[in-house]
This record gives sequence, C-alpha cells and structure tokens, in this order.
Amino acid sequence: MIWNYKELFIRGIWVTLALTLVGYIGGIMLGLLIGLGKLSKKKWIYYPSKYYVDFFRGTPLLVQILLIHLAVIPTIFGQSLGYFVSGATALMLNCAAYNAEIIRAGIQSIDKGQMEAARSLGMPHKLAMRHIILPQALRRMIPPFGNELIALLKDSSLVTVIAANDLLYAGKIVAGAYNRFWEPYITVAVLYLFLTFLFTRVIAYTEKRFSNSYVPRQRRRMFTFGRPTGGSS
Amino acid sequence: MIKIENLYKSFGDLEVLKGIDYEVKEKEVICVIGPSGSGKSTFLRCINLLEEITAGSVYIDGVKVNDPNTDINEVRKEVGMVFQQFNLFPHMNVLDNITISPRKVKGMNPTEAEELAIQLLEKVGLKDKAKAYPEQLSGGQMQRVAIARALAMQPKIMLFDEPTSALDPEMVKEVLDVMKQLAFEGMTMVVVTHEMGFAREVGDRIIFMDQGYIVEEGTPEDIFVHAKNERTKAFLSKVL
Ligand SMILES: Nc1ncnc2c1ncn2[C@@H]1O[C@H](COP(=O)(O)OP(=O)(O)OP(=O)(O)O)[C@@H](O)[C@H]1O
Ligand SMILES: [Mg+2]
Repeated sequence: MIWNYKELFIRGIWVTLALTLVGYIGGIMLGLLIGLGKLSKKKWIYYPSKYYVDFFRGTPLLVQILLIHLAVIPTIFGQSLGYFVSGATALMLNCAAYNAEIIRAGIQSIDKGQMEAARSLGMPHKLAMRHIILPQALRRMIPPFGNELIALLKDSSLVTVIAANDLLYAGKIVAGAYNRFWEPYITVAVLYLFLTFLFTRVIAYTEKRFSNSYVPRQRRRMFTFGRPTGGSS
Repeated sequence: MIKIENLYKSFGDLEVLKGIDYEVKEKEVICVIGPSGSGKSTFLRCINLLEEITAGSVYIDGVKVNDPNTDINEVRKEVGMVFQQFNLFPHMNVLDNITISPRKVKGMNPTEAEELAIQLLEKVGLKDKAKAYPEQLSGGQMQRVAIARALAMQPKIMLFDEPTSALDPEMVKEVLDVMKQLAFEGMTMVVVTHEMGFAREVGDRIIFMDQGYIVEEGTPEDIFVHAKNERTKAFLSKVL
C-alpha cells in the first residue's frame, strides 16, 4: 500500500528538505540583519526589528502561513505564486525571528572587552563586529542554530495546509486514498525521524569542528564525544 | 600632547569625574594612583573616548577628541590601550591578533604587517609564540602580546589600565619590564597602576586621584616622599 505511493513520499521528502533549507538559510541571513537591528542604538532600526521578532514569535506559524499564502502574496503579486514560494517565505520569516534572538544573545554573550579592544585599535564598529565579535559569537550560536534547524524541519509540516506536496501531505493523501491511518502516518513519522537524525549528525559534526577551544585541532581534550579522531589523548 | 580641560563624567546620577584638568607632555610617563572606585579607569577611558565625555574636553595633539566632527577612529590610531583583562582576540593566533588592525584599519599589506608583528614580538620576548593561541599563553605572555598588538598601530601615546593587576605575582615583572623599556624609548604613557615601585621608578609624574578629583600631582618624589595632602598620605601609608 505505502509502496505504491513511494514516489509521493520521496517527493515529499525532497519538498520538506527544500522548504526547510531555503527557509533556514534565508532565515539566518534575515535573522542576522534583524538580530543586529535589535542591538542597534538607533531607534528607527531597533523598534522595527523588535516588533518583527515580537510578531513572528508571538503568532502561530500556521496563521502566518495562511496569511502569507492567501493574503500577502496575492495582494502583492495579484495571484498565488504556488505553495512553495508561500511556504518557504513563511518559514523563512518565522525562522528569522528566532534566529535573530539567537544572534542577539550570541553577540551579547561576548565579553564587552573584545569590542573595546577592537575599537581602541582604531577599528570602526562594523569592522570590529565582522572580524572580532561575529566570529566568536557564531561558534556560540551553533548549538541553538542546530535546535532551530530541527524545529524548522518539523514545523515545515504545517505547510500541508496550503496543499504543499511535502512529506506530511503524502501521508494525508495515502490515508485518504485507503481510509487507513496507522500505516501512512507511521511512515511519515519514521521518515521525519530519519531526517531529524540526519540533521542531528550534521549538527553534531559542526559543533565538534567548532568546539569550545579556539585552538585548531590536535589538542588534548578532556572528553571526546563520538568516534575518537586519533592523535593524542 | 594630551590636554584635558574641566573633564566631567557621570554614569546616570553617579558623578565619577568631577572636573579634571591635566596636561601630558610628549615622552612623559604619567602614573595614576588612587583607591578603588576613585575614577582612574574612567579617566583613562575618557582619553580615547571609550567612555562618552559628559562635559569638558580632551585634546590629543590639538585635536578635540569629543568633537562630533572628529573621526574618533583616526584619533585611536594614535592612542594604544592595554587592559587589565588583556582582551586578546581568542579566535586568532598571536600573529593575527597583532596584524589584524594594521591590515584592516591602515590597509598595510600582509607581509609588511607580519614583519612588523615579528619585530614587536621580539621586543616583548615572544617571538616563538607567533603561532600560539591566547588560551595557550600565560597571563604575563598574554599581556605582552596585548602590548605588542597596541604598538602595531604605531601609536604616539599608550594608555595602560592596571596592566599587571590580573597577573600572578611572578609574571608582573616581565610585563613591567616591557613597559619600562617602552618608557625608556620615549613613548608617551599614561599608566593606571597599583605598582608603586614602578610608578616611583618609571613615572615622570604621579597623579593621585580620589573621589573623582585629582587630589595631588607631582614628581614621584613630591608624592611618595613629600605628599602634602592628608588623603594622599593616608592612601600611601596603606599601600607602601
Ligand atoms: N559603565 C559604568 N556604569 C556605571 N558606573 C560605572 C561604570 N564604570 C564605572 N562606574 C563607577 O564609576 C566609579 C569609578 O570607577 P572606575 O572604574 O573609574 O574606578 P577605578 O579608580 O578604576 O577603580 P579600580 O581601582 O577598582 O579599577 C565606580 O564607582 C564605578 O562603580
Ligand atoms: Mg580601574
């Protein structure tokens, strides 16, 4: 029964992956702008950034998806641009709000002596941000960014409501066709589990590469997670 | 070289500097002493505008630092600063810590910057640590790198805010020696310090600050031997 619809599920996996990745990458870039905006002393930058985050964190993603698909995009473009554009946009905008907070917190966690040292060397604020603060802050952001990626993967299933061919939608179709619920939804659940597992591995790898030490590689670690990498210890 | 006129600084309602006038001449080494909370760091940080100035003015080489038309980054190129907590950039090795600013701010080419860095590392006795990361260094080594980093901008003035206070006793000397050498070479320096021996030996003039005022100022002899003010005497009797 499931096997007959394997193409639907495979397509669902790709759609889910694509929505997640597009939303995530866009969400990080937009989130960086908004996160920096929330740190700005200029009121006309700070307040829009703050209200943005408040809105997208304070309303359900499902509502945002429907608003964007049925109201915002048709109003701007005069027609629907399809579920993918709407879905990816909604996920991106939503993800950006959460990432903005991660980025703001990450930057604020860097000792203010770092900025002072950079400024005292004659670096303008932007340059100091780029070369001194952000590189340090980014590695502290990796764990929460990882959580956000997994959350987004699961939340992407909400785009099913606008008839996106995502993974959950495949399950719904099959369930409808056979009027059976166990098999299709268990399949969907297992496939999501498989995807989150994949992402977890990627995140774990990234975290390890940018571990708590700033000294690159070949350094004795007190603890090693996962497979030992050889060398000393 | 540095002229401070009627400098006031408040943090909200807390008035920390209450009208400071002072002039630092070229090649002078000024040591600032005084009890904790007297405003020494704030005074130093107003010179390169790490703290916003509430009232009064600071001139460096005749340029008013707290003028809205002054490009503060230009001023800061001339004024190096060394912090109590070193504030090295932990994600860069020693060499990059030193070269980043000449490269990015002055547009110095990388080879030239590297040569300069090696030269400075030699001066502070850490040539073999060029590729080390800050976390692999001892406190004294970190502070010497921080001095080299500030010198890499080839400043005319160096500000030191308790550069040895965070160090284990056995590392204090190596940092003070570098500073002595710098003073000997004619660098204009303002040093906030609790090292009275250093102040006495290296300082051309000593400032005693208390409660936001310069209470007394003079040569090391004036202050350490013939202090006139009661507060100065009371402070010195505690620390000497
Ligand atoms: N950013 C700030 N916000 C509010 N108050 C501050 C700030 N920085 C310093 N102060 C206050 O200003 C006063 C003077 O501080 P400052 O750091 O200049 O003293 P100090 O003489 O350097 O002392 P120490 O020897 O402990 O370093 C203190 O009462 C301090 O609490
Ligand atoms: Mg201080």
